[in-house]
Amino acid sequence: MTRLSQEVHTASPAPGADPAARQSAEDASRLREAAERWRAEYAASVGAQPDAVNRSGIAIEPLYVPADAPPSFLDRIGYPGQPPYTRGIYATMHRGRSWSQRQLVGLGTPADYNARLRRLIEGGTTAVSLIPCNSVFRGFDMNEVPAELLGTCGTVVDTVEHLETCLDGLDLARTSVALNDPLPFTLLAFLIVAAERRGLDPACLAGTSNQSDYLSHCVANHMFFRLSLPGSRRVLLDEIAFCMGRMPRWNTLSVVGQHMQQAGATPAQAMAFTLSSAIQYARDCIARGMRPDEFLPRFTFFFDVSISFFEEIAKFRAGRRLWTRIARDTLGARDARAWRFKFHAQTSGVDLTRAQPLNNIARVAVQAMAGIFGGLQSLHTDAWDEALSTPGPAGARIAVATQNILREEARLTDVIDPLGGSWYVEQLTDRMEAEIERTLAIVEDAGGMYRAVEAGLVQRMIGESARRFQEHIESGEQVCVGVNAWREPDEGQTHLAQPRPDPARMRSHLESFRRWKAGRPAAAVSRALDDLTRAAHDDTANTFEQVVAAARSGCTHGEICARLRRELGTGQPLAMI
Amino acid sequence: MPHPDRLAAILAGERTALARAISMLENDARGAAALRAALRGRCGRAHVLGITGAPGAGKSTLIGALLGAFLGRGLKVAVAAVDPSSPVSGGALLGDRIRMGSHAGHENCFIRSLSARGQLGGLSASTGAVVDLLDAAGFDTVIVETVGAGQSEVDLARLADTRVVLCPPGLGDEVQALKAGILELADLLVVSKADHPLAGRTAAELRDMLALRRHGGAHPGAGTWQPRVLEVDAAAGTGLEALLEAIEEHRRAIGCGRRLQAREAEADTADTAALCARLAARDPFVTSLGGEFAGARPGAAEVALAIRAQHLNFNGTCHGGVIFALADTAFGLASNSRGRLAAGIDAHVTYHSAVHEGERLLARAREISRSRKLAVYRVDVERADGTLVAAFTGTVFITGAHPAGEGTSSRSAGGA
Amino acid sequence: MELRPRVLVTKIGLDGHDRGARVVAACLRDAGMEVVYTPPWQDIPAVVKLAIEEDIDVIGISSLATDHLIVPALIEALRAAGAGDVAVIVGGIVPDEEVPALIEAGVAQVFHPGAPLARIADFVRSAAARVRATRFPDAR
Repeated sequence: MTRLSQEVHTASPAPGADPAARQSAEDASRLREAAERWRAEYAASVGAQPDAVNRSGIAIEPLYVPADAPPSFLDRIGYPGQPPYTRGIYATMHRGRSWSQRQLVGLGTPADYNARLRRLIEGGTTAVSLIPCNSVFRGFDMNEVPAELLGTCGTVVDTVEHLETCLDGLDLARTSVALNDPLPFTLLAFLIVAAERRGLDPACLAGTSNQSDYLSHCVANHMFFRLSLPGSRRVLLDEIAFCMGRMPRWNTLSVVGQHMQQAGATPAQAMAFTLSSAIQYARDCIARGMRPDEFLPRFTFFFDVSISFFEEIAKFRAGRRLWTRIARDTLGARDARAWRFKFHAQTSGVDLTRAQPLNNIARVAVQAMAGIFGGLQSLHTDAWDEALSTPGPAGARIAVATQNILREEARLTDVIDPLGGSWYVEQLTDRMEAEIERTLAIVEDAGGMYRAVEAGLVQRMIGESARRFQEHIESGEQVCVGVNAWREPDEGQTHLAQPRPDPARMRSHLESFRRWKAGRPAAAVSRALDDLTRAAHDDTANTFEQVVAAARSGCTHGEICARLRRELGTGQPLAMI
Repeated sequence: MPHPDRLAAILAGERTALARAISMLENDARGAAALRAALRGRCGRAHVLGITGAPGAGKSTLIGALLGAFLGRGLKVAVAAVDPSSPVSGGALLGDRIRMGSHAGHENCFIRSLSARGQLGGLSASTGAVVDLLDAAGFDTVIVETVGAGQSEVDLARLADTRVVLCPPGLGDEVQALKAGILELADLLVVSKADHPLAGRTAAELRDMLALRRHGGAHPGAGTWQPRVLEVDAAAGTGLEALLEAIEEHRRAIGCGRRLQAREAEADTADTAALCARLAARDPFVTSLGGEFAGARPGAAEVALAIRAQHLNFNGTCHGGVIFALADTAFGLASNSRGRLAAGIDAHVTYHSAVHEGERLLARAREISRSRKLAVYRVDVERADGTLVAAFTGTVFITGAHPAGEGTSSRSAGGA
Repeated sequence: MELRPRVLVTKIGLDGHDRGARVVAACLRDAGMEVVYTPPWQDIPAVVKLAIEEDIDVIGISSLATDHLIVPALIEALRAAGAGDVAVIVGGIVPDEEVPALIEAGVAQVFHPGAPLARIADFVRSAAARVRATRFPDAR
């Protein structure tokens, strides 16, 4: 409590000063008296309550006062659309243009995907998202994995033809396509070839290569760690270099904090590791001779947004401010577009519970609000049934409706950065910024993110945070309604029909894939794969260019991945607790 | 003797039989002593390759690369990977085998993770027996992996025919810090991650140290072998061929079964329990206290005591002297268990909780380190539920004689 | 002499989300068990070989996507290799209506998100003790 009494002191004017000074002295003394009275009352009724601490380990006071906000408005807070972008990267923010509502779509076969997509197109969607099956994520063709798993988590897309079926009827030149497409970016290659076949210039394609951040995959052991670290480093740079020249509307890289926060990183750690990764990628690009003003505007970010409401808002505001400084001062970008921290957020599945599952609707709403107040550019809201199974269509509808309610009924977007100027939020933004910088320094001391990941440092830090969080849940320190508090004695079971792909349709998809493969001109395929081998061993060649060529020649996703694994090494995750 | 079918299955290298037998040896379960006895005389054929190095030095990656090479030559290879256990719970996370790569699935390969079972950073007490088992089961090469900390290098030196120490590339100070135990014991010093900018410098520093060492005297237990420094990038395969050649050259120079010769000097494992039981039975103080001998292995012993009214102090709880005496008895037996007379020269006890009448205590002594003259033991006195009552550490001076009644007569550590 | 439980915590199939597996592995270690831990994406033959060589009593399969669908195939493979006595438990996101099929296939228990770690540890300990008792009938 000493903090409050110190900070309400203002400079005492000299005795006998002018009336304004006397007035100000009286004000100061009234302020001091009010603060002391509040402090006494608070202490008397609350007593020795333990301090509140947020997930990033920052102590939270019971009350904030004007002195807690940063003194310099223009330098630290300022206007939206102006550095340091604390309040948002665009002048208009959500008032001018709503965030993109990107819902993950995809289960089953390409035809199943297309059927769902057509309904979205009828609804006037301008942004679609493709999540492939886990077999694709792991770098295999559909005939290389247990058949039971095909299409249970995403769409099975192994060839250009499969992607063409998925996107049939979609105007590629006018729709932004988010591809969940880890290295070596076969889906992007398929998309380029599909556009060429329609007579379109790939330059017209807009969208994002999600899941391109191989460091985050390596750290969080998420699904996509197909290539060795050095191999991944090479292929990512090749993709960025390729798109720089030919696909100016394509976001080449999505730097991901979401995986790490899902794996257990605190919000501050997740932001710090993400910024560290972005610094690493940018330095790698610079070393390749690329200019920050050209490649940085195509970097985007992707975060988890947990239910720790104010902490998440402060995380995003602090991250935006830090990135401005990093892009400008550390990386030397001169173009303001390179300083803008564009991010997509997904509500956190970790906070969702299986107990009393409908409560998850409330949780997702709060998470989404934190993301919106944090100034996101794109939002995915989880379905309430995600903690029980792969979400079904009914749950997905509520998730979308949640966003519409927040925007149009609750009118959260009427004012830009409505929490800006809150003494608490501004103070917390500063504190989160300091905490993020602390972790940034740890990674920097370890030689940057690549080295820190290679050595397992980041994995260890995240593992420790995950365990600490679990201990807080087990001890009840972190309340989880329905799990460790407010449990109902007799909870009705919630039964959901699990959407599983139709086995007959999947079988016929597999059969037709086999037939198609057998009927390809074999010589062209093997020639293209040999070109890929050569490119992998030639530092002056661009491997992604050869991935596109291989797609054009009829190579499958699994063939391209297998060849690059062979030439560049397979990703070996570190097994760390 | 173990059941003849079971022994036959083990000797035939049958996977399940081997795995069960290892558990039996690790837990010192009933039948373990008989199994150890049955293995005697059936081993000495396998080449035992010890690999040690600090966490993160790249041991598992190197072993993965060696496995690939050995299996490719048609050899049968077993790996015993020793991971440290938690000093608190005794539990262990055994994660190394997966880092050894895809060879774990090969039919000529057998990998077993062993918990160090409280031997801080060292080999578990049963690792030697596990190596014997894998040797007898017909594996051509047995690789023993340990975390290079504390006692493990010494243990590994006793166990392995060829000792490979991994040093990650580092700066001068770090290399200096390594040299103490390691240069004494390594047959081959491998600088891992040879693609690292500091690798060459690290190798040069190690070579300098070896050169200094050579002037200082012979390498113990190494015959005429001169230790070498090699640089290997296991992930890329660079330097691997040279390492394989050096290993083969060392095997030809030194031969297999070095551990068996070393062991002859020590009391036979199977006889240890009998020896300690005899010593305990002859100890009038232990008998009058009510202590019961509960088992022993070389370097380890257990003694139990039921707390009765006569053991209480004026406060009505167990007298500290009783607990000390119990721990000291286990200490005495453990330190004499190798058949060499050991006399206690220092002991210290910390009491953790009060003990009441009717409780049953178990003192478990184990060896922390042992050199030719001195050995250090730790004794945990526990309740039946495993809670710690007292922790005791003691040091003995080892004489050349036998314990009293087992040869010439002299004073032993028990009751020192 | 105690026979410490030996437990394998792993993920089979295609998914890589391993936070749950890591937390459970660490918890079982802290409960005094010997835990073999692997990264995700193990294939079934590798898990069977590992379980045999490591003399595993209990296999814990963590499944967040749909990898639990191939757990019956794992149990089949364990039986075929003579390791049918290993207790297999599944933890993670398993839809209610798919639990009976897993139990039918021989899964000893399914733990859903929110299951207290202490309950998981107790279950594993007693399942391991049963397996140990049949493998080493006269060990104690």
